[in-house]
Amino acid sequence: MTRYPAWRNLSSPKLNLPAPDYLAEIMNTADYLLNSANDDALAIITKDVQVSYGVFKRICSWLFNELKNQKLEPGDRVAVWGFNSPYWAAAYLAIMKIGAVAVPISTLLPADDIKRNMVFAGCKFLFADRFLYAKHQGQLGEFPHFILDNQLLNVGDCGWDTPDGEFDIDNNAALMFTSGTTSSPRAVRITHRNIQANTQSIVKYLELNSDERMMVILPFFYCYGASLLHTHLRAGATLVISNSFAYPETVLNLMEKTNCTGFAGVPSTFQTLLRNSTFPTRTLPHLRKVQQAGGKLHDSLLRELVNSHPNAQVYVMYGQTEATARLSYLPPELINSKFGSVGKGIPGVTLSIVREEDGECVCAGEIGEIIARGDNISPGYFGDLEATQEKFSHGILYTGDMATVDEDGFIYIVDRKSDFIKSYGHRVSSYEIESCVLQIPYVVAAAAVGVPDENAGEMIKVFVILRDKSTNKVDDVMDYCHSHLARYMWPQEIVITKSFPMNAHGKVIKSELRKIGMH
Amino acid sequence: MQTIEETLRTFIAENIIFSSDGFPYTDETSFLENGIVDSTTVLELVLFIEQQFSISIKDSEVIPENFDSISCLAKFIKSKA
Repeated sequence: MTRYPAWRNLSSPKLNLPAPDYLAEIMNTADYLLNSANDDALAIITKDVQVSYGVFKRICSWLFNELKNQKLEPGDRVAVWGFNSPYWAAAYLAIMKIGAVAVPISTLLPADDIKRNMVFAGCKFLFADRFLYAKHQGQLGEFPHFILDNQLLNVGDCGWDTPDGEFDIDNNAALMFTSGTTSSPRAVRITHRNIQANTQSIVKYLELNSDERMMVILPFFYCYGASLLHTHLRAGATLVISNSFAYPETVLNLMEKTNCTGFAGVPSTFQTLLRNSTFPTRTLPHLRKVQQAGGKLHDSLLRELVNSHPNAQVYVMYGQTEATARLSYLPPELINSKFGSVGKGIPGVTLSIVREEDGECVCAGEIGEIIARGDNISPGYFGDLEATQEKFSHGILYTGDMATVDEDGFIYIVDRKSDFIKSYGHRVSSYEIESCVLQIPYVVAAAAVGVPDENAGEMIKVFVILRDKSTNKVDDVMDYCHSHLARYMWPQEIVITKSFPMNAHGKVIKSELRKIGMH
Repeated sequence: MQTIEETLRTFIAENIIFSSDGFPYTDETSFLENGIVDSTTVLELVLFIEQQFSISIKDSEVIPENFDSISCLAKFIKSKA
């Protein structure tokens, strides 16, 4: 695929680069993440156990030793499959430490897809959660594995010596499956350099220190969840784990009980917290940092979030798995003056918004694609050259996100390139329509898509979830759109539904909605 | 007339787990441990119960103690009636 001419002559792909100057020395990511921790401090709290860094390091060393016994070669892939736990985190670090590549597997997949992903990545060994393994053993068949469970709490120290051979910071550390909706698996190669660069940057701008207690509801197999693990271990802080968000009150109770200082979620998380939980009315006196990423939180919900806990700073952030996790953030003190912006590139990341036509940077107010450079940008997809060439070029990530900038360089995302609706010759942002509909108090969620139409090219359909089950609000929603949206953005149809097709990371799968919309 | 438990089993089978063979678990089966519900389907369940049984449920009452199995739910609904 031909990329934009203006970027063709940029520097060659980063190979054999020296360690960035903010990394004091080249080291394995497992060591990098653990070397600032105090052994007596708490690393991970779950509803059942509290694990200190000292105990956590012992578990890491035990699993590291287990891998040594498996006689794996550097670069071999090892799957880790389980709910968030100290054991999952220790297995993940042990895999990296031995020079193998960690392959986190989603807990939400059916057995066939788990097997498919492990075969795709060429995994030679598996660390598996006891409960999940017991449940799917029959379908998975025989596979060399080690069971992760709380018996690991009692293991002794087995040593943590670096394996022989030179360590290369540009080797793969992990393969992260994306939340994409393609039917075939796609895994992003994440190197040791990628993780360390992104971690260093996030720790810096969030000003994380060892006093933090982060409530983690996002799975570690998802890049956002993994970044919470990386950054809080690196800071020597504490992660408080809850493996389900089905009952938000349970999560909020745990946050209160453990004096959590931080919370991180995706838009659907905050939608639930703000509209269907006691979050807005709880005091949560220790909460000081709220992180929002994983998609754009609609304006009305963002305002509610900012106003709900005035003592907590709200960090609006933007990223992709292909960038390890994070690309930009908006400093919380600018949340009102730059409302709706995802900020600017994080330290070490350069973001530009370029025109599709000629690849030149856009002027303020003009729409273009976000492209990114930095040490956190993945070298590409595992075993998929075509997809890699489509998304990456000369160390630049083409995000597929369309955005505009203001005069001060703050970025405002307009839509996913693929989610724009082309109706009657207009390019309509699905996000703008959704934002409008979400201002209606009885609307809980909205998703706008374009479906093929002979006259319009694409016809605008808006799927809406209402607070109560009344289905007689179609005309009201339509009237609201007519009085609040430009004529060319008016939906042709409003569809009341009970739920949206969502991917494992809480994002609406618009391609599925389009299919539903066509019937 | 259906019992509370039967009503719940039918609703969950048809609207949450999309089972054509009815509710394939026991009344004591944990929804959470078996991945039967997530935050979206719990809300569906809340709306259904409020309308079906004409009761009002507070956000603070949507906790596993009240919601995590057919038995818990039936007990909770009876206590609100």
